[in-house]
Amino acid sequence: MVLILNIILLVLFVVGAVWTMMTTRLLHSAVGLAFTSAVLTVLMFQLDSPLAAVFELSVCAGLVSAIFISTIMLTKRVTAEELIVQRKIRLASFWFLPIVVVAAAIVLSLIHIPVDFKLPEPPVENNVKNIMWNLRHLDLMGQIAILLTGVFGVVTLFKESKHD
Amino acid sequence: MLSLFVLLPFLAIVMLNLPLKTVTRQLALWFGIALSAGQVFVVIFQPDVFWNGTDLLGRFFTLRLQADNLSMVMLLSIGIVTFAAILVGRQTIADSRLRFNFMNLVLLSLIGMNGTVLLTDLFSLYIFIEVVAISSFILIAFQRDLNALEGAFKYIILSAVATVLMLLSVSVLLMAAGDTSFSSVAAAVKNSSSSHFVRFAIGIFICGLFIKGGLVPFHGWLPAAYSMAPAAVSVLLAGIVTKVSGIYALIRLSTSVFGPDSSLNAVLMIAGAVSIVIGALAATGQSDFKRMLAYSSISQVGYIILALGCGTKLALVGAVFHLFNHSIFKSLLFVNSAAVEQQTGTSDMDKMGGLGSRMPYTNATSLIAFLSTAGVPPLAGFWSKLIIVIALWQSGYYIYAFIAILSSIITLGYLLSMQRRVFFGILSDKLQAVREAGFGIVFPACVLAAITVGVGLSFPFIFNSFIIPIGAFLK
Amino acid sequence: MNEFSILLPIIIPLVGAMLVIIVRRLGGMKEGAALLATIFSLVTAIMLYGRELNYSLPWAGFGMEFTLRLYHFSAFILLAVSVFAFLITLYCCSFMRGKSYGVWFYFYLLISAAMVNGAVLADNLILMLFFWEGLLVTLFGMIAIGGKEAFKAATKAFIIIGICDLCMMFGIALTGYLAGTMTISKISMSPGSLGSVAFIFLMIGAISKAGSMPFHSWIPDAAVNAPLPFMAFLPASLEKLLGIYFLARISLDMFKLDVNSWLSILLMVIGSITILAAVMMALIQKDYKKLLSYHAISQVGYMVLGIGTCLPVGIVGGLFHMINHALYKSCLFLTGGSVEKQAGTTSLDKLGGLALKMPITFICFLVAAASISGVPPFNGFFSKELVYEGALQRGAIFYLAAVLGSFFTAASFLKLGHSAFLGKVSDANKNVKEAAPAMLLPMIVIALICILFGVYNHFPLSNFIKPILGEQRLAGHEFAINTTLIVITVVVLTGALLHHLFAVKITGSGLKSADYIRYAPVFRGIYNRAENKYFDPYDIGLKIVNVITKTAWRIDRAVDWIYEGLTVRAVYLFSNGIRSAHTGNYSLYIVWSLLGAVLVLIVIMKSV
Repeated sequence: MVLILNIILLVLFVVGAVWTMMTTRLLHSAVGLAFTSAVLTVLMFQLDSPLAAVFELSVCAGLVSAIFISTIMLTKRVTAEELIVQRKIRLASFWFLPIVVVAAAIVLSLIHIPVDFKLPEPPVENNVKNIMWNLRHLDLMGQIAILLTGVFGVVTLFKESKHD
Repeated sequence: MLSLFVLLPFLAIVMLNLPLKTVTRQLALWFGIALSAGQVFVVIFQPDVFWNGTDLLGRFFTLRLQADNLSMVMLLSIGIVTFAAILVGRQTIADSRLRFNFMNLVLLSLIGMNGTVLLTDLFSLYIFIEVVAISSFILIAFQRDLNALEGAFKYIILSAVATVLMLLSVSVLLMAAGDTSFSSVAAAVKNSSSSHFVRFAIGIFICGLFIKGGLVPFHGWLPAAYSMAPAAVSVLLAGIVTKVSGIYALIRLSTSVFGPDSSLNAVLMIAGAVSIVIGALAATGQSDFKRMLAYSSISQVGYIILALGCGTKLALVGAVFHLFNHSIFKSLLFVNSAAVEQQTGTSDMDKMGGLGSRMPYTNATSLIAFLSTAGVPPLAGFWSKLIIVIALWQSGYYIYAFIAILSSIITLGYLLSMQRRVFFGILSDKLQAVREAGFGIVFPACVLAAITVGVGLSFPFIFNSFIIPIGAFLK
Repeated sequence: MNEFSILLPIIIPLVGAMLVIIVRRLGGMKEGAALLATIFSLVTAIMLYGRELNYSLPWAGFGMEFTLRLYHFSAFILLAVSVFAFLITLYCCSFMRGKSYGVWFYFYLLISAAMVNGAVLADNLILMLFFWEGLLVTLFGMIAIGGKEAFKAATKAFIIIGICDLCMMFGIALTGYLAGTMTISKISMSPGSLGSVAFIFLMIGAISKAGSMPFHSWIPDAAVNAPLPFMAFLPASLEKLLGIYFLARISLDMFKLDVNSWLSILLMVIGSITILAAVMMALIQKDYKKLLSYHAISQVGYMVLGIGTCLPVGIVGGLFHMINHALYKSCLFLTGGSVEKQAGTTSLDKLGGLALKMPITFICFLVAAASISGVPPFNGFFSKELVYEGALQRGAIFYLAAVLGSFFTAASFLKLGHSAFLGKVSDANKNVKEAAPAMLLPMIVIALICILFGVYNHFPLSNFIKPILGEQRLAGHEFAINTTLIVITVVVLTGALLHHLFAVKITGSGLKSADYIRYAPVFRGIYNRAENKYFDPYDIGLKIVNVITKTAWRIDRAVDWIYEGLTVRAVYLFSNGIRSAHTGNYSLYIVWSLLGAVLVLIVIMKSV
């Protein structure tokens, strides 16, 4: 029962992602993203990771989608002719993806890699919290740098220049 | 006081963004120059106080930084190329506000690069590579040119793939090792060499780094990003950014964390050889100056990775030496392309010709750089290629050695055609008004050319005292 | 003086050369700079004389080290080089006035001095080769500045010496392989079978530098067109010094040649043939410079013969002859230069009666000519006597060749002196005046040294020459001149004088005194062929090369097509293919990356 549910969820996840990519309407794309995030949330609950699930739901499915949709509302719709052209371009750039996936699958099954996904036990059972927090002071600096970069990015790329 | 490499640019950014408008904009340039020149100084002169003094920051925080000979070489290259890029940026970016942002972003990139070459932890490596990558995205696009935005976007997309691969790998390795420091991951990899999961993690991490380093067939973003970026940024990007975030990380991980490992080495050698050949062949047909240099960059990176895969001490020394040389002569070529682009307003080689008479310094330095790239004695590039070929030959990889030599000839071919199309020949009427570029471009070009010639000429003297000891990072 | 001072003989001329270039536009400064550099190097050479210094720097690795060694032999050559460089620069200050290529001449002269000094000091074969080849370049330059015709001669010289240097390079490689080291002072072996090959190749390099047959043919060509001081400087003095120095080094130190070796016979044969063949050519020349240049070849024969005897007396004679020859031959070329400068020609047809117009030049010429002919008590006499003695001990035939050479030398100089300085003054030469003091001074100095080295021959012998062989080799040998040989020499010289007087009486002119030999039954054919360059290895080589070239040209077309047509097309085909694959499509690039990742994973995971 759980297995069937999981498979359905995975299929929904993939379908949502593909739709997000392939649709020509920005709005549909944003909704697709929100939907995919929602499915991911359920999957995370299934994987016993409620904290991550809640974070995913609130930020990705909720906040980000809300921003996207509100922004898209401000844009202009394309005409029907443009839409057809867009659709053709989209198809032209993605048609071979399924073929590649199938081909890769065939190749992989022919090569036969004996897959054994058992992980070796870590030599010392470390406290994950200790590793992820107490030894991470350097990363803190890196993360601050990333944030700063983001700020500069927004300032340079999105703030209208007074000189223009 | 290793933390200063990261801390000082950080403090500089904080100071620059204090609300003291007019003063800070003037200061930004000098901060950048001082930091990059200071970095070169402490690496070359090795002041004892700096390297062995107590690390104040280290008293309060666990930083686990470490600087061996490999890091020294990288720090030196970072310092030199950043210095050149800042000067070029000062010359080519007209708008003072944009220039200020450029300086800030370069400093952020400096934080990322210095951190990357000093840290000893897999997860931190991921974070700092991201710092470098994100600052590069913005640097490529920061003039809001449409082409540049496209280049940046390609870089973002493929970088995102790399990010996913690396992050997944880190999480698997964290589970296997219980920790993400280089030493414990190395121990875990050694203990669980039969685990498919660990092998998988290694494989995808390497793929992520291949994307960052722009090796064939992971290179799709590179030509666009290099050629669309503003002049100063392509100097930085081609000279050092991809080398630190891709190649340095590959060298570090494949020698002391994931390896040495025969199948990993085989992958590296194949990727290296394919990159050499495809890069060289693709460069041959280009008519855009910067695009040709970008493909040439792929080809040269191939040499480094090929030598890395060879795995002997001599080969690794050759790889690191070539990495250093490449960051010098490739940034020199991009500086020259910046000069040409600024003066003629185009980077299409078919529209140029005869610029050598108008731009004597650019012509001469470009000649030096291209001869060094093609491996013509006695310039620096010749010696590093020679070491690589000798190392390949000694290890019995005759075919790879042959490929390396043959591609060198193709390299000579297309760079010669570049030099001919741009600098030699008859000056067309439209270009009569062209002048030599400004001091901010000519000066770094001359400095870089002097380094290439100097290292090449003094090679016999520094071979035993400086170049062979690079291999000391091997355990 | 510390060990760095050994670098000075190389550095000072180089700096001087740069200085000459820098100040060339300031009138008169270039001469000053060149003189200053040569004076400095002369002072340095004097200060260095008698010292033993070693200096070593790591260089290119693989046994190639920057090792210099100063000891009595090299110090002696250094001294000689500096003296000649100084005197000839002084001479040129006047001679070069008004010639457009003056700057380059000084430049090349100083560089040549530096290169010779370097080659002499080098204690590493590779390093020596470096300087040796450098000299080839300056030689080319010095001949080529003479004009268009000179350029041809320069090319000829370049090719001949280049090929010989190539042989030497091979010899060096072989020697290094056999000895296991490239350090000259550490090599000491007896020539075995392979060693003999190495020796012959090194010898080719050495004697071609000295200008011995059969590598001589560029010298007469160069003599016609190149500036005369060049002839006095390189072929007459510096190259002889260097070539014979190296020959002595290889046959005395590096390869222990002894009397029983066939290599010794080979050297003696080369020496004898060179003496005779070149002097016979000299005899019939009708040009001042060309006549001298054949003597420059002929005299090398004595040196090679002397060293080839492998007897201490012969070697001492050969080396003594080397320095003597450098003296009198440069003096002779300088007199030739004066004549050319003052009379405007060197063709003997147009000269005559200059003795009264240019008395000092004539006296210097007399001294030098007497020296070269071996008239006692000038220096040439004593060195030749030593060579005779060595040759006689090895075989009467070599002695005979040497004495015969002496006879013809004397005869040809009688002819030269007669037709240039004596006889009637032609109309064109009526207003000829004595040369300028700056040109006379070097000639006088050299002529004086010729006399000094002759009269006080013990001084150079015991101070300069004998230390080169060392006490051990010289033990038990006396250098008393054999009275019988002196008598024979005097008889021969008298014979030459009588012959000349007799011939003049028959033909009626000094110029034609040797013509009867030129047109004698057997000689006529030989001379005709020689004048048409049938015996010139360069011209023979050129003919062979022409045939090969034509064949090669056809092969070359085919190969060219492969390179220029096929390869380039293939590269562009690939290149276009790759370029068209880069469409700029994101998803395509991602797919490439993912496929690459799959391949990487297959390789990495398969190995478990």
